[in-house]
Amino acid sequence: MNWWRTLSRQETTNSRVVAVLALTILTLLVTIFLPPVADSELAGGAAIAIVILGLSWLTGWSGQISLGNSGFMAVGAYAAGIWAHHHASTPLIFTLVLALVAGGLSGLVIAIPSTRLRGPYLAGMTLAFSAAVTPLAQNFTSVTGGEGGIFLNSLVTPKWFEHLFHGANASINANAQWTADLAVVVAGVMFFFMANLFHSRAGRSMRLVRDNDVAAELMGVHLARTRTMAFVVSAAFAGVGGALYSLLEASVRPETFPLTLSITLLTLMVLGGIGTLSGAVIGGIIFSFSANLVAHVNSLTGVNPTSNLGANMQGIIFGVLLIVTMIFAPRGIVSLSSPLRRLWRARRPLSVTQEVQ
Amino acid sequence: MTAFLSSSFMHNIFGGLATGVIYSLVALSLVIIWQSTHVLNFAQGAMAMLATYIGMTEIDRGIGYWWCVIISVVVGMALGGLTERVLIRPLYGKPEINPIVVMVGFLGVLEALAAAIWTSTTRNITEPFSQIYYQDHGHLVFLSAFIVFQILLAIGIMLLVAALFRFTKLGLQLRASALAPEVSRLLGIRVGRMLTIGWMLSAGVGAVAAVIVASGNFGLFPTDMDGIFVAGFIAAAVGGLESPIGAVAGGLLIGLAEQFILAYWSPNVAPLGGIIILVLALMIRPQGLFSKSVSRRV
Repeated sequence: MNWWRTLSRQETTNSRVVAVLALTILTLLVTIFLPPVADSELAGGAAIAIVILGLSWLTGWSGQISLGNSGFMAVGAYAAGIWAHHHASTPLIFTLVLALVAGGLSGLVIAIPSTRLRGPYLAGMTLAFSAAVTPLAQNFTSVTGGEGGIFLNSLVTPKWFEHLFHGANASINANAQWTADLAVVVAGVMFFFMANLFHSRAGRSMRLVRDNDVAAELMGVHLARTRTMAFVVSAAFAGVGGALYSLLEASVRPETFPLTLSITLLTLMVLGGIGTLSGAVIGGIIFSFSANLVAHVNSLTGVNPTSNLGANMQGIIFGVLLIVTMIFAPRGIVSLSSPLRRLWRARRPLSVTQEVQ
Repeated sequence: MTAFLSSSFMHNIFGGLATGVIYSLVALSLVIIWQSTHVLNFAQGAMAMLATYIGMTEIDRGIGYWWCVIISVVVGMALGGLTERVLIRPLYGKPEINPIVVMVGFLGVLEALAAAIWTSTTRNITEPFSQIYYQDHGHLVFLSAFIVFQILLAIGIMLLVAALFRFTKLGLQLRASALAPEVSRLLGIRVGRMLTIGWMLSAGVGAVAAVIVASGNFGLFPTDMDGIFVAGFIAAAVGGLESPIGAVAGGLLIGLAEQFILAYWSPNVAPLGGIIILVLALMIRPQGLFSKSVSRRV
């Protein structure tokens, strides 16, 4: 049970874990008051936040870059979708664990040749993977349903939940809130695991490999195994996120996972801040609001949303944001908070240790 | 002989070569940039696509096909130079992930922009040569005038690039600043300018590839270079990113392999063809089939 100890070790139950718990509860409370549309947007954001977190771990903590996480999402989503399609009564948790394992396995398959590669080779290899996934899903029609994909039953709201929040008259509001809460709880659990993983032995050796792989090797860190592990974890998170996203949409289709999704994931990760929990949260929030954001920009600039330009506004905005952030604030929105924090600290008298730092 | 030229084996050879030369061009363009600035340009395909759009819309104004090709290549080169100056220059000396991310972002912008301006529907361009297959004593030979043109043009461009690097003063300066920037600077080479020229050259080669793709059966649409970029990258990686000859050989290898997997194995697994070859090549020689083994400096 070594892995379990890593994921839930007592000594790392620090402020980050408390923050994850607090944020989860806070978000659950927020879903009560949100309109159904916002609830389902939030649910999608929570699913994407899980994927971003996995990518962020890979890039920020192990220094590897992946353009294949949309592919890993697809693997998780198809594994969950195919299973749920044939065994509709399976508990959600089991379906998600299945997606986690499937995603992780696909990560392992890609990682074994890829971990010998560095930076650009790796990015290209993962790009080739995610470029192959969509045509594969379209080709193997008997398993994946081809272009049309797989349709799933939408998630059912339990009676006690309806009674608790919406009295006897069950409504669409209850279902939107229930699915949002489910997504938030799953995201919370995944963030909890990652918060622990960041500060585990694995996380520390990962950072060492990123910063100086020769030093890491001299200290007894197994380079290939560590890099592979980073990939597997990242792919497993993508698998869970992809499955959750598809379960929320009640369908698994090839066009949900285009190549551009990998670009979107990268943008959200970089925007939020690479390698941080809060960065992934911010990325997820931006994703939930992205449709509104784009609509807002369209109306501000007077662009007709049904025109060509309006329809492609999201791609343009996300791409520009990615470039600008990477050049001017490569550590993301999270890093912008540090001047504020410094200002806050300056109001209080500095202690000796702070001055030394 | 008759049966041989029109056999299905030769059909696959011709088909593989036709796509292979395009992959080779893209791979070559990636290698040129990689050698000079150690950036893998993920927007290479999209930049070439945009240049092709700009050049080929001129056809609508009644300008001849060949002028439009020249416009595409010139626009491509300008775009390449501009990209190096504006997007890549601020990132020299930064972690190697940064330029990758920026170019991925640029890829997104260019494709969205092209779709916004010209819509995502496929645009067919009247090809300069017939696409009708030749016949050999009543049997179809899977070569058309266009395919012959495509192969010859690609070979011509490759020879031109090779000659430029090998025999001209500019080529010598380009090679010197890629190999030893500091020494080159001391010897009076404007290294910064060389990097820009390297990007322009590369983008020009890419634009030729994109023009061929757009003129053929594939047509012109905003994401038409995505798959070709991936194949070109795999080709360059198989060859070792450092070696222009490796890139060309890698491109032909990938083209032929895709064609033969399609014909003799299963069209369903064809998308995986490139990855399988890359994995095999990397298992044999992780640094690429054609590159000299280099030890990484610590």
